[in-house]
Amino acid sequence: MNYTVSSIAPIVLLPFFAFVINAFLARKGGKATVAAVFLACAAIAGSSIYAIRIFNDFVFGNYSADYNIHKIFTWFDLNGGGQTFTVNMGVYIDNMTAVMLLMVTVVATMIHIFSTWYMHHDMNYGRNGRFFVYMSLFTSAMLGLVLSDNLFSLFIFWELMGFCSYSLIGHYYEKEKTGDANVKAFMTTRIGDVFFLLGIVAIWNQIGSVAYVDIYRAIAEGIFTNVDNNVMGVSLAAFSGVCIFLGTIGKSAQFPLNVWLPDAMNGPTPCSALIHAATMVAAGVYLSLRIYPILEAGHLTYFVAVIGGITALGAATIALVQTDFKAVLAFSTISQLGYMVLGVGVGSYNAAFMHLITHAIFKACLFLAAGSVIHGIHLQEMPRMGGLKNKMKFTWIAMWCCTLAIAGVPFFSGFVSKDRILGDALVMATYNAKWWIPTILGFAGAFLTAFYMCRMMFLAFHGTPRDQEAYDHCHEEKLSWNRNIPLLFLSVFTLGVWFAGSLTGQGFVKLGSKDGKYEWFKTLIQKPKVEKFVDYQRQPWGSTDIKSTQTFPTAKYDNTYGLSEEAAHHVHVVHYWGAGLSVIIAFSGIFLAFLMYIKGSVNPGWWVNSFNKYYRTLQNGYFMDHLYIKGFIQKGLLPFNNLLARFDMGVYDRYGVDGWAGVTKYIMGVAKWFDNLFVDQIMVDGTGASVKVFNVILRTIQSGKIQFYIIIIVLVLLGYVLAL
Amino acid sequence: MSGSSSLLSWILWMPMIGVLGVLLIPKAKENAIRFWALINTAMTMILSAVLYMKFDNTIPGMQSALEIKKSWISQFNIHYHLAVDGISLPMILLTSLLLFICILASWTVKKQIKGYFALLLFLQSTVYGVFMAMDFFLFYVYWEVMLIPMFFLIGIWGGENREYAAVKFFLYTFFGSILMLVGMVALYFVTGQGEDSFNILAMSGGKFKDLTVDLFGYALPFAKVFFIALFIGFAIKVPVFPFHTWLPHAHVQAPTAISVILAGVLLKMGTYGFLRIAYPIFPSASVYFSDAIAWLGLINVIYGAFCAMAQTDVKKLVAYSSVSHMGFVMLGLAAMTVQGMNGAVLQMFNHGTSTAMMFLLIGILYERSHHRWIVRPDGTKGFGGLYTQLPVFSIVFIIAMFASMGLPGLSGFISEALIFLGIYERFTTITVIAVLGLLLGAAYLLWMFKRMFFGEVIEENKSYTDMNAREVFYMVPLCVAVILFGIWPSPLLDMMKASVGKLVSLLAMY
Repeated sequence: MNYTVSSIAPIVLLPFFAFVINAFLARKGGKATVAAVFLACAAIAGSSIYAIRIFNDFVFGNYSADYNIHKIFTWFDLNGGGQTFTVNMGVYIDNMTAVMLLMVTVVATMIHIFSTWYMHHDMNYGRNGRFFVYMSLFTSAMLGLVLSDNLFSLFIFWELMGFCSYSLIGHYYEKEKTGDANVKAFMTTRIGDVFFLLGIVAIWNQIGSVAYVDIYRAIAEGIFTNVDNNVMGVSLAAFSGVCIFLGTIGKSAQFPLNVWLPDAMNGPTPCSALIHAATMVAAGVYLSLRIYPILEAGHLTYFVAVIGGITALGAATIALVQTDFKAVLAFSTISQLGYMVLGVGVGSYNAAFMHLITHAIFKACLFLAAGSVIHGIHLQEMPRMGGLKNKMKFTWIAMWCCTLAIAGVPFFSGFVSKDRILGDALVMATYNAKWWIPTILGFAGAFLTAFYMCRMMFLAFHGTPRDQEAYDHCHEEKLSWNRNIPLLFLSVFTLGVWFAGSLTGQGFVKLGSKDGKYEWFKTLIQKPKVEKFVDYQRQPWGSTDIKSTQTFPTAKYDNTYGLSEEAAHHVHVVHYWGAGLSVIIAFSGIFLAFLMYIKGSVNPGWWVNSFNKYYRTLQNGYFMDHLYIKGFIQKGLLPFNNLLARFDMGVYDRYGVDGWAGVTKYIMGVAKWFDNLFVDQIMVDGTGASVKVFNVILRTIQSGKIQFYIIIIVLVLLGYVLAL
Repeated sequence: MSGSSSLLSWILWMPMIGVLGVLLIPKAKENAIRFWALINTAMTMILSAVLYMKFDNTIPGMQSALEIKKSWISQFNIHYHLAVDGISLPMILLTSLLLFICILASWTVKKQIKGYFALLLFLQSTVYGVFMAMDFFLFYVYWEVMLIPMFFLIGIWGGENREYAAVKFFLYTFFGSILMLVGMVALYFVTGQGEDSFNILAMSGGKFKDLTVDLFGYALPFAKVFFIALFIGFAIKVPVFPFHTWLPHAHVQAPTAISVILAGVLLKMGTYGFLRIAYPIFPSASVYFSDAIAWLGLINVIYGAFCAMAQTDVKKLVAYSSVSHMGFVMLGLAAMTVQGMNGAVLQMFNHGTSTAMMFLLIGILYERSHHRWIVRPDGTKGFGGLYTQLPVFSIVFIIAMFASMGLPGLSGFISEALIFLGIYERFTTITVIAVLGLLLGAAYLLWMFKRMFFGEVIEENKSYTDMNAREVFYMVPLCVAVILFGIWPSPLLDMMKASVGKLVSLLAMY
């Protein structure tokens, strides 16, 4: 396949044009809105066709860990007057991009289709299609982010997604609460974003570019770790790594900036599925994978792993006690993102990315299923649900597939990816004892994940209805294509075989062998080897591709991590232990939930009553909202602002500036007194003869002619300067 | 020396023709006055477009084909000397666009229409004068004369406290002008009162580096002393902390169109002064003081943002946000790198469009509400649920707001990013603090937006009508500018980069 403008650009531009057209079209209502909705869906479906073509070329065609396409063009330059500066943009497609493109377009297409069902009754397709307008812009921005070849354009699309997220959370703008939620979401992520920008600026200044390939090359050349390039006492790698990783913390809702994601559930459920579960939050993890060499060079991996571990466990504990259907899913998203970040930290590069993909699919499915439950029963409180499986069989099955996947049950996708992350964490722990901390956090979180997800399922779908009235009013599930096809499609891809198998032409899906030899995912997604980029050549936009000359398969997954045989054996053994441990943990979590909510042999109420204080702490999310809003903002920031503003107008302006008027008046008073006493009384009145003389002079001076005054002023000033 | 084209003169005097026309039309024919003013500004805009087309992007510095130089007061070697380069052209285009829009936005002015439009056009001419004059004396004359229409426009058509604000604006700026005058006169004598003693271009290039001046018995470096004089003169206009307090008063009291011109164009005259006069004439002193300029710019960014967050009057909030955003321009100017300086000039233009949008929108809202309280002093809501009530208005407001806070894809982002790139190398600490300005900028704007636009529509807002066709019509060009230059900044950057690069190269020698 040849990569030209027309085979890459439509991926981003189709949804973007849909956005531009719909921005004017959708508002008109009636048939125009229907056309707009159709256009939005068609656009994203169209870009998924282009994405499939690229995926096909990368996975079924070239099948090499090193294969990539990199095309650049100049966005603008500042060359002139003896100065030069150029800002390049471009697309960089490697295996990771190809997989991301496929995932984003397909999941987004499914969610768009589902939305036509879900938003249909919400004031004419989400208030006259407004919902779809922002969804198109969002998808376009996400795809742009994935295709970006440099951090700067990634940042641009990153912020655009933040804006779309802001607008979609605020979809129900007549509610006061949504206003709080979207400001919170935007501001919390913005904290990370400004540091991200700072990191970009720091790198750009040092190496003159922020393209990934240039960054990798600079790392290989030691520029990032050279002491001459230290920033504020730390190496450039550490400084920029922390700054950029703060962007990930904000966007992917990691501790301590995790507070915005649960509130983001105020938006319509399909947008929660796309933005706050499947793609936008995953962009943070995608970024941290792209900057992985920086994190490594800056010795930040442990920090990253601990942040991920804390988030994974902390959010899981909060999810234990939530009663809101969507809140459980929101916290589980935070927790799963924590696993991905943990994976990045422990160097489990391809497993972290795989978890990103598998999570995107099962979490999108979970949210869509949750949306159809909420749509049916018109409430979100789980204590009022129960027994819903009789009314919505299809949703129930789809949701169980996803629950098993997220819980990490074997043969489901979540097991494949999460188990590898935990296994790699365990390997790190056997090397260095300090890594036990993130490892244990991760395993504990896995137990809780299995528990709270099954708790949610049992509370909502099993047992007897707890609120008979709500149950009776709940709609029987009707089969409608635009709801069921997305659910069915996404549930099929919760199976592990798609990710752990081979897709390389030896058979469409083939299980991986014991040493992972055939696993396409492991083979294709590997840590970027920075040395490789030292002699890297760029391709200008519009040129013919420089193709890899080697043919299939050119690279195999290095299952030994480049280790000695003995060490590789150790890794292998630890991985088996890890896999065994996570299976046991997953099943014990499920079993505990079963005992509590089906069998009833363990009474959850007793636990709540006995540990009430802890229960309330968890319900309030460790009071982090309290600390930030009531503490930091209301007690710190706002009083400080008021004080400063009052100082500015009340003190500085009033006395410091207007005070000069008082001083001037005082001086004028003195002058007047002097004038009266000496000039008038002593000299003028004292000498009668002088009266006439002075009269003449004064009359001439005080002529009232403004020009004359100005001449005097100028003369005085001129004289002053001349005297210098 | 003088070129063949008299285009610049036409642009400069076209508004004065407008003034004459307004004065000739009988007072009772209000619509005739309005339309005459509109046609006049449209003509000026067309002339500016011609100027843009004749402009050669590749020439660094003045465009000799467009230069006009005639003797004015020959005894003192004062010339009527107009020219344009890549730094002034964006400002001239911005002025033309904004004045056209301001005439439309002033359609609802009721009081003494004749005087109002005459003064507005007069103001336009003086602004062009400042941006075109290459003779220091001529520059100074326009700089001063501009105060007169401004004084009356605020003092007569302003809000309740207009006289105080007008006097304060006048005196404050006048104080700065006196210092500038001292600098000008000093330069006149030090260059030997010759042919080029008022010629800004001829004096450029660091000729006064080694001179000293005797002041109060001390031999002080000439360049540094008079750089400070010029600096204060221009800094008051920007306004740089601590000379910023006239701005909130003037903005809050000024009528909508005047706020737009004030924030959109007049503030840029201050930074333009640095680029045109202070920097080229005293490059050594500029480099010497760049640390101080950077710190002042940083204070502007942060202090302005903090103060903005505390405001309950929406216009005052935007006024303080101008203080904050002009701080970014100062940071870019202090950087003296190619990215920073281009970013600063670009930010001058972009802030002109985005903040003009904000003030216009607040004016539109004010015409319906007759107050501007986000939260009234008694704690009740001034606005609520405007999103539901005014959908079109809200969308335009969102564009303006996000452009102002520097969302990528809208114009403010590129200039701010360039400024950060520019300052980082020399002022790492300042950069680290200044990025917080972006955070605070988003905070006060979004918080304001949330309080005014979200939630249920409050009772008194239910009578408000959405933007009418005239209002939509004059917002569209600004929306287009904000979005277009966010995606494709090259038209602006191509215009300025040669001239800015030349200045950067000059500064780099010191």
